[in-house]
Amino acid sequence: MAKENKTNINRRQFLKSTAIAAASMAAIGAGVTYIQKYKRDENNAQELLRPPGAIDEDAFLYACIKCGLCVQICPVHAIKFAGINEDLAYGTPYINAREQACDFSCDSIQCAETCPTAALYFIQFKEAGLKAIEAVQQQGPEALKNINPFEVQVVAMKKVTHIGVAKLNEKTCLAVKGKGFSGTPRGENFNGVLRPQSIKNQDGSKIRKAYPLKEQKYEREICDLCVTECPIGEEAITLKKTTNPDGSVSYKPNVLEGCTGCGVCEMICPTEPASIVIEAGKTYEEVYS
Amino acid sequence: MSLFSKKREPLPPKKNDEMPHSKLGMPYKEWMGMNEDRHKWRNRRWAFLVFINLLFVISFALDLSLLEGSLSGSRLLGFYLLDPYNSFQLLAISIKTEYLPYLTMNFVIGFFTIVIFYSIMGGRSFCSWVCPYHFLAEWAEKLHDYLVKKKKIKEHSFQRGLRYVFWAGFILLAFFTQRLVFETLNPVGILSRAMIYGPGLILLWVLVIIAFEIVYSKRFWCRYVCPIGATWSIIGNISPVAVKFELDKCGHCRKCQDVCLVPHELWFVTRGKATNEKHYVGSDCTRCGYCVDVCPGDALNFTVKGLDKIL
Repeated sequence: MAKENKTNINRRQFLKSTAIAAASMAAIGAGVTYIQKYKRDENNAQELLRPPGAIDEDAFLYACIKCGLCVQICPVHAIKFAGINEDLAYGTPYINAREQACDFSCDSIQCAETCPTAALYFIQFKEAGLKAIEAVQQQGPEALKNINPFEVQVVAMKKVTHIGVAKLNEKTCLAVKGKGFSGTPRGENFNGVLRPQSIKNQDGSKIRKAYPLKEQKYEREICDLCVTECPIGEEAITLKKTTNPDGSVSYKPNVLEGCTGCGVCEMICPTEPASIVIEAGKTYEEVYS
Repeated sequence: MSLFSKKREPLPPKKNDEMPHSKLGMPYKEWMGMNEDRHKWRNRRWAFLVFINLLFVISFALDLSLLEGSLSGSRLLGFYLLDPYNSFQLLAISIKTEYLPYLTMNFVIGFFTIVIFYSIMGGRSFCSWVCPYHFLAEWAEKLHDYLVKKKKIKEHSFQRGLRYVFWAGFILLAFFTQRLVFETLNPVGILSRAMIYGPGLILLWVLVIIAFEIVYSKRFWCRYVCPIGATWSIIGNISPVAVKFELDKCGHCRKCQDVCLVPHELWFVTRGKATNEKHYVGSDCTRCGYCVDVCPGDALNFTVKGLDKIL
């Protein structure tokens, strides 16, 4: 009898704890979902970017298991974890392009390649790379001799990246004002690194290593750093020159459809705040029409 | 208790001259104090736990490819390892979305490697040998025990089955909210990420859990909530690596239960409870080795099932 009573009490206690557990889980679930949704909706023009290859934000939030492999593998340490005080869901990876942009230094979108849960989806890059190599192969064996297939693959992979689209603020842009720039773009205390595009090795080949931006000196009569340092090149951004009716010349960096939103232009822009900013996750049409 | 063991009648209690201290001709008190200061397994375990977590930290700090990622998902020398509970949640979410086909081969490899590894190592060996939260909770537990002994606080205990309620609950929650809700709360992941990639405000949450464990209920998170531990309990059910209990060496002093993190797993050490001459500790056991260290008669030992008969 006593034993039976005890099991009854135990059962009642267990049901009570279960009810409390269920209620608290429901509250937590609702809370977490609400906070994540709220954070995203409130920050439509958020400045934080998702790493290359990130799938649709809604799916990204569940696909990302917050393991940190992308954070670990990035050679320029562009990818960071979001804390609870940041404008993104806790523990998800982001890139703050103004602090450190993705300059494609790894040459193979490693962050997406390493992601085990396809929150950063790599297959698109792989396919684009293979397609590009196939296209070269179809030109015959002669074409392969003059071309580095690795380079072809890398370029193709870069081009399918879509993090966002750069948008120019014409009011502050030095080029639009007709001003030049000389010196280090972000000052002596800036810690970001960049693989320079406009500076070449002495033998004329491309520089492979990323150097601290504070070590770079630039001299420009008209500031065109965002144009010349763009890792994609003239398919993404050009300096448009217009001759006015009165004979004077005006300039403007012109963002094109090839822009991947990597954020190098935002990082290197010497004005404070940056005159060119990446609109996270948006398409070219959404920003420019 | 293993799920597969049949219920049997207990063996008759040992007579006084069958007890190990009488065989040695020692007074019981003296016999009990025999391995008082032995900490072999505890030291090994702590060293291993610190080593593993340090390996994560070093890999990131010095950019080495030793053990990358965090405890939610990692790469050991390029070989993927994934937290199975996260994987279960992802699979639950995939029922509703068409996400499943996109999962990578590395996901499959990582999931099965870890499941196979821990089904061999057994029980919740992850908890006491790897988990950084466990390490903190061990100290919290000591403090808690001290406070209970001094009668500053009262002990509150709940049913262990609650863990499975949370286990199923968080999977359902993942299914309905389409979020990995548990990973936001998981102190294992939080601590692991904080150590490797730098601390954040979220550590306050871990502090809350630890404080709760100290002042209210001993080992609350590990015992009654943590679905990761519950997952290991399920996976480690049939493992060959286990702690073996030999009745003839046991003096029923129950010191092992005092130090054990999951005392219910040592039910057979009480006099007159054991049903066999030999018992293997079940899947809630964290393979921590506290009982192995403390046992005065060396009745408890690590073993590989099957292999111990051959050797």
